[in-house]
Amino acid sequence: MRRVLIFSSPNPITPQLSTPPTPPVNAVFPIRNCRWIGPSTSFQPPVLRLHNYQRTPTPLLCSATDSVTNQTKMASQDEQDPRISKISSVIRVIPNFPKPGILFQDITTLLLDTKAFRDTIDLFVERYREKDISVVAGIEARGFIFGPPIALAIGAKFVPLRKPNKLPGEVISEEYSLEYGTDKIEMHVGAMQAGERALIIDDLVATGGTLCAAIRLLERVGVHVVECACVIELPELKGRERLGDTPLFVLVSSA
Amino acid sequence: MFAAENGLKGDPRLQAISDAIRVVPHFPKPGIMFQDITTLLLDHKAFKDTVDIFVDRYRDMNISVVAGVEARGFMFGPSIALAIGAKFVPLRKPKKLPGEVIAEAYELEYGTDCLEMHVGAVQPGERAIAIDDLVATGGTLSAAIRLLERVGAQVVECACVIGLREVKGQRRLDGKPLYILVEPREIDGCY
Repeated sequence: MRRVLIFSSPNPITPQLSTPPTPPVNAVFPIRNCRWIGPSTSFQPPVLRLHNYQRTPTPLLCSATDSVTNQTKMASQDEQDPRISKISSVIRVIPNFPKPGILFQDITTLLLDTKAFRDTIDLFVERYREKDISVVAGIEARGFIFGPPIALAIGAKFVPLRKPNKLPGEVISEEYSLEYGTDKIEMHVGAMQAGERALIIDDLVATGGTLCAAIRLLERVGVHVVECACVIELPELKGRERLGDTPLFVLVSSA
Repeated sequence: MFAAENGLKGDPRLQAISDAIRVVPHFPKPGIMFQDITTLLLDHKAFKDTVDIFVDRYRDMNISVVAGVEARGFMFGPSIALAIGAKFVPLRKPKKLPGEVIAEAYELEYGTDCLEMHVGAVQPGERAIAIDDLVATGGTLSAAIRLLERVGAQVVECACVIGLREVKGQRRLDGKPLYILVEPREIDGCY
């Protein structure tokens, strides 16, 4: 079942927000797991650590409390933009790719629908234009499809975040955990300057591992990650919580 | 053909686009002067001009498919597709596309590689362009042309930001017109 709605951070982006809002003292916040990931730690990845795909849905993955929280978020959103349901409907689900039990969310069919693809870009552009965003960073390779049109429309530069050994110049790298082993993403030195306001774009967020690595990469050079933006979220994999203080904006949530 | 020979002679945008491309010597191996378009993507005006030049050329040519070669073709193709009202079709390395694919092999300096396209992405009779950041030997673009033609599409042109000198004399690739914005930067001009 795919719930079609817009998730956004509780705090809308404004140019005045240079740091995330200070949380109330007595609140309980999800552990920012992405800070703990690394080969030198003893952090054990959860069993469902998946990259860019989801398992066949099983019941009761959310506690009642989580459901209430999600209900609250949903209720507080604006009424659903009519473009969203079309976008959701043209994303193809491929069972058992890349391995049995996984339901792969295929955005290539979205790219074949000129209006839905245009609407996808417009929804991001409408959110981010005139918000003083100077950098759109896209995660290889499907982030390269959505990132540049958004960057061009909002007047920002586009920076590709790539797998190792693809970028020709001097790079900085950030390692992150996979279900088995680790991977790295890289960025060109000098692509961004300290103090710039950035978006990070990918087609889908699952566990949030890749996005977390991207956030660390940008923050290492002093860039403020205003928000992460994806077409699709797999909420059961808790990527949103893993991003911690960094807001996540998605168009479609696939439960 | 180069854009400068085809209506854009003296267009200041072309010089700015060329200037924005960085040359990285000896990547991925000694002797190769790698033309790095990531610096072009950092120059909003030059990047926008790059896309605009392709859009101006193709918008009235009834193109319904823009096929982009992984991964740098993904950085230019979608913006062009969106502006001209065409679909964007990614042509990918093996095992990346999740659905049923057709594959086309092509020669590398040592060995072969493969390009894949989703079955059903392109219909017979559609008019298509294939796009990549750079054309060198033309091996990858030739594979792209073959993929599109195998499903009955008509490849109207291949479009690249940068075209190597050896290609210039040909003007066509496997009988298809080639449209190139700039020649490679020399080492003196690099950052």
